[in-house]
Amino acid sequence: MRLETPEFDTVLYHRPESLEDYPLHLCPGCGHGIVHRLIAEVVDELGIRERAVCVASIGCMVNSYHYFKFDGLESAHGRAPAVATAIKRCHPHLVPFTYQGDGDLAAIGTAEIVHACARGENFTTIFVNNAIYGMTGGQMAPTTLLGMYSTSTTGGREPARSGYPIRVCEMLSALDGPAYIARESVHKPSAVRKAKQAIKLAFRTQLAGLGMSLVEVLSPCPVNWRLEPVDAMKWLAEHMLPQYPLGEYKVIEAVAALKKETDHA
Amino acid sequence: MHEEITLGGFGGQGVLFIGRLLAEAAFREGHEVVCMPSYGAEKRGGTVWCDVTVSEEAIGALFITRPTAVVAMNPASLSKLEAAIKPGGQLVVNRSLVPDKVKRADICTIYVPANDMAAELGDDSVSNMVILGSLLAVCPVVAASSITAVMGELLAGKQERLALNEKALGAGYDWTKKNLASPESKSKEGAHVQ
Amino acid sequence: MTEKTLMAGNIAIAEGAILAGCQAYFGYPITPQNEILEHLSKRMPGDGRVFLQTESELAAINMVYGAAAAGCRAMTSTSSPGFSLEQEGISYMAGAELPAVIVNVMRGGPGLGNIGGAQGDYFQSTRGGGHGDYRLINLAPASVQEMMDFTMLAFELADKYRNPVVVLADGFLGQVMEPIVRRPPVTELPDKPWAITGARGRAKNVINSFEMNPADFPPRVRLLFQKYEAICQNEVRFESLELSDATLVIVAYGSVSRSAVTAVKMARREGIPVGLFRPTTVYPFPYKALTELARHADNFLVAELSFGQLIDDVRLAVGHDKRVALVNRYGGVPLHADEILAAIKEMISQPVGR
Repeated sequence: MRLETPEFDTVLYHRPESLEDYPLHLCPGCGHGIVHRLIAEVVDELGIRERAVCVASIGCMVNSYHYFKFDGLESAHGRAPAVATAIKRCHPHLVPFTYQGDGDLAAIGTAEIVHACARGENFTTIFVNNAIYGMTGGQMAPTTLLGMYSTSTTGGREPARSGYPIRVCEMLSALDGPAYIARESVHKPSAVRKAKQAIKLAFRTQLAGLGMSLVEVLSPCPVNWRLEPVDAMKWLAEHMLPQYPLGEYKVIEAVAALKKETDHA
Repeated sequence: MHEEITLGGFGGQGVLFIGRLLAEAAFREGHEVVCMPSYGAEKRGGTVWCDVTVSEEAIGALFITRPTAVVAMNPASLSKLEAAIKPGGQLVVNRSLVPDKVKRADICTIYVPANDMAAELGDDSVSNMVILGSLLAVCPVVAASSITAVMGELLAGKQERLALNEKALGAGYDWTKKNLASPESKSKEGAHVQ
Repeated sequence: MTEKTLMAGNIAIAEGAILAGCQAYFGYPITPQNEILEHLSKRMPGDGRVFLQTESELAAINMVYGAAAAGCRAMTSTSSPGFSLEQEGISYMAGAELPAVIVNVMRGGPGLGNIGGAQGDYFQSTRGGGHGDYRLINLAPASVQEMMDFTMLAFELADKYRNPVVVLADGFLGQVMEPIVRRPPVTELPDKPWAITGARGRAKNVINSFEMNPADFPPRVRLLFQKYEAICQNEVRFESLELSDATLVIVAYGSVSRSAVTAVKMARREGIPVGLFRPTTVYPFPYKALTELARHADNFLVAELSFGQLIDDVRLAVGHDKRVALVNRYGGVPLHADEILAAIKEMISQPVGR
């Protein structure tokens, strides 16, 4: 059923041009929808819809290419950075980005993201960390917190049995290749605004040909966390932020200069 | 003409290089050629082989099982290849490194002090060229000048090395021709030159 | 263009890729095919083409996937263990109908096996190899010239059918040197309006192998198999040697078929009427031609470098009332002409009907 759209004099909030009118498969309260919208807004604002390429991955965001109104393709679990590497190298004028979850990027695809960063590939990665495997039903992710419940750590994640959560930004910023690495969150409106700024800077880094850019976005998964959406936002702030501090982890000088341009403008 | 030549030696002795030279030279002379090098995980020290088939007709098998000529640069290649040589075939043994004597009397064997001769020329590492020269003296599958021409290309810009290689090739060739010619070195079944 | 050069098989593959207009190569070192990667590392970049040594065969095949999706002629080369790692990506490419060339210079296996030549990946390569319902075109060269020619043909067929094509070679072919004729380069590449090139002036392109609703997927698989049917109609290739009066037919592909050529000569010299049937496509397999042969010949001797994989296809083709025997080596060692000759003699010395 579709609701009649009432008529207003001025539209203040509308669907970005780069976002399709396509039914979302995401659960209520999920953060992926917000991140998708931020990407679409950034692509619109930078005027790169005709050059953007969504390299989707495996997980809840498997369908990403259906949500965006630009070229997109599927990639095997964890391999999106390899696919994006090839697309960018074959067509340097395109603006590919990978959209990956924590299982995809920080477990099965660790080698691919590490080496894409080490090579300093000139594409952008949006890494959505919700500390759980969503699509498969709530198993432990590489970023699941210690003590946190999952369907495969029902007594809470114990390091002796299941090891420690991976801090992706900290790990990747140790490499020489990346130009820009930041961690943001979408658990409250002010955080969403900062996340958008980071995503925009990441794309601008690519457009300027400065090298690998990656933004990790902390995002709630109320269904698998077994919380109401609002409680999930609160849980994220309370438990995830201490483990995964927000901020910039790598900003090479040329990116800092880019950022300054924006601040002046 | 149809020759099946197997070259054997330690990795690092330049067996694959002379196999390549032989194949390139035969190819440029207009023959059909198959050059099948052995390859291994080890780079130096293990035994390597190179099968070079030269023919006027299209060549089938990539590998040689009954060679018409063999070069044994080290003991392992002699013990492996001696029995396989076709009756009436040629065997060139590197006397400097292979102490064993050949038992077969139905083949023509030459014992060349390849490393010693190379050392006399000032560089032990051209023993492969000495032995290639020796092989050409008993098995003229290609002209020595064809080998020199190929070397000129492969070693372009390395004049010193090229000159040394040519000298070693000539030394092996001349030594073998000279020793083959001396009547006391020939046995009834074939030549056993030492 | 008839000037010949002496070339190693692996180099011929690399040069074949260049001539075919390969725009992107991704590879990970593994013996016995490293010369392909090394050669292309010198040849590709200067020519404005993409070359990348990857962190693994997983990355390599997924980069091939990306480059193919981007509309480029793309290739990777590997050897058996690497080919196993690439199966996931190949399945995705088959599912997404992406054209690409995968060179497998087979070596001994299973496991790490060794670096000698072998043909133990026959089932894996001709039956699909990865998960799900699909097939790959498999071209099987037997000379250095065919290493070049089949690599070029592989690109052509990949684009024609939007399907991955395997050049199924072996370690011995990779290393051997033979004189070959250099082919003229391909100058015109096909248009790929479906490719990921940016949604400029057109609707967006999507490349995937996924349907959220299970009921939407079977039609996609059906379409794939309609395509494979066309491939089986149009692309069967094989070569015959001395078959007109042969009562014993050797069936062999790849390097071992060269030993078989010599074995045929040796047998004929002894008055034994032997011929060779050599599939040059092992998918699509020349079943019909072999079935036809079985009307005149009673003995089929399969020579292969595995414990018996090609022999299954031969049995399927000739039926159960024909004698089918195996002469083989496996695990990375060659099969020689005299061994095939001995097997020929043994087979014809046995009374018919066993």
